[in-house]
Amino acid sequence: MELCLFLGCNTPAIRPDVERAIRASMPELGVDLSDAEGYVCCPAFGAFPSTDDDSYLASSGWNLSIAEAKGLDIMVQCGSCYSSLRMGRDHLAHDETKLARVNELLELTGRKLECKTKVRHVSEILYNEVGAQKISQTIKKSLEGLHGVVQYPCHTLFPSEIVGFEESPRQPKALRILTEALGATVDTYSRELQCCGGAGGFSKSTPVEATAFVKSKLDAIIEETQADFIVVSCITCLMYLDNIQKKLNEAEGTDKYHIPVFDYNQLLALCMGFDPKQVASICTVPRNSVIDRI
Amino acid sequence: MDFSESDKDLWKAIYNTKDLLHCFNCSTCLSGCPASHGNPPLLVRNLARMVVYGLEDDLLDDDTAWACVSCSRCEEMCPMDVKPFEMILSIRKWQSANDETRVPPSIVEIYKRGYTQSVGTNTELRESLGLPELQTITKMPEMLKLYQEMLMKTPVVSENDYMFSEE
Ligand code: SF4
Ligand code: SF4
Ligand code: SF4
Ligand code: SF4
Repeated sequence: MELCLFLGCNTPAIRPDVERAIRASMPELGVDLSDAEGYVCCPAFGAFPSTDDDSYLASSGWNLSIAEAKGLDIMVQCGSCYSSLRMGRDHLAHDETKLARVNELLELTGRKLECKTKVRHVSEILYNEVGAQKISQTIKKSLEGLHGVVQYPCHTLFPSEIVGFEESPRQPKALRILTEALGATVDTYSRELQCCGGAGGFSKSTPVEATAFVKSKLDAIIEETQADFIVVSCITCLMYLDNIQKKLNEAEGTDKYHIPVFDYNQLLALCMGFDPKQVASICTVPRNSVIDRI
Repeated sequence: MDFSESDKDLWKAIYNTKDLLHCFNCSTCLSGCPASHGNPPLLVRNLARMVVYGLEDDLLDDDTAWACVSCSRCEEMCPMDVKPFEMILSIRKWQSANDETRVPPSIVEIYKRGYTQSVGTNTELRESLGLPELQTITKMPEMLKLYQEMLMKTPVVSENDYMFSEE
């Protein structure tokens, strides 16, 4: 199958090794990717969706129209991009007045939108279209002997009616099953479904409280599991859970927080034998403890 | 609380859905909300009350809606289908429309280069990872101009056009 790759901005700008991992691993599983030339910011919830519907939906429409012109569905990794695009599409697909208004705006740019393109998350493609079995059969190396824990990106769970793809959004399992398909043991813990708290204004406006919030999650991982790594499938979860551990260590004068964090496609690409220097090189918490054992 | 100056129709200006009036203060939207741990906390339930009661001045001054991380837990769990996350966005929209200092600076970045940050300029790093050059809108001036012209027709950009002018 072929999909239109929507990269957002954090992935290509700050963590391009994740982009490399996605571009390397998906075609091996029969998912070809076509770039969204001239795409714009998703738009982020803190931007146009916080000012007015016209600018929000015109930007969603702009992005959707790029994929629609190619006759492709969109694939996204960033949780917020996924949610913003998918909610934007939902507004347009269910409200003729909004769609007409957006087409009026898009017309000025020579574009139009029928809202045929769907917005899909990379973990959903891997889970539903590729399947765990094909992943296990394709990989050359495995995570056997390693324990991981999963951070489910809430933007891919809620509101389940619009963005969801799990059989039960209260008991998600896609990322766990995908990680097990790589040979790892996935441990569960009490705060598994707690948000990382890294997106939006929270961590910027009240960093002390936000850090205490994510600390409760990391403490639960350390106390309740044997985790060698955390696996995510959202660029914001990845950057936040990785970077905050160093800050926590500094604030508390310890070195207790050192769990490597990977995007799922990075682990997948590593198990396919791609070069760690290309697909998993940018991080704050060193990843050797995991990479050396694959 | 002083209700003497409250505007009973304010909810229609901010979040015109009857579902909001079904809110019965159960606080489900607070459990699991990361920003409810903030200081001051984001208390979705209270914001819903303020909108329904029409406490215009208090609402204009309230920063907490901007602490929302958009996780949509409240949207999922609210038993009365208030769609609290949509309400949060609606409060921000109303604040931005009534107070230009609320307009998020990130939209100016998006207007100027298509993104909140510089995308596609880290060419050396990208090359070293074996990545192709990105076809960003920043590199396509004609297309960027069309995007800007389109945005100029939207309320937030046309009403605050001074923020977007090239100096
Ligand atoms: S959600 Fe954030 S990371 Fe994703 S494209 Fe939008 S601004 Fe960039
Ligand atoms: S866990 Fe945090 S970063 Fe990840 S999807 Fe939720 S809010 Fe976004
Ligand atoms: S969960 Fe819904 S009904 Fe309950 S307080 Fe929050 S908004 Fe109101
Ligand atoms: S969407 Fe915003 S208000 Fe709702 S639970 Fe998440 S952070 Fe809290």
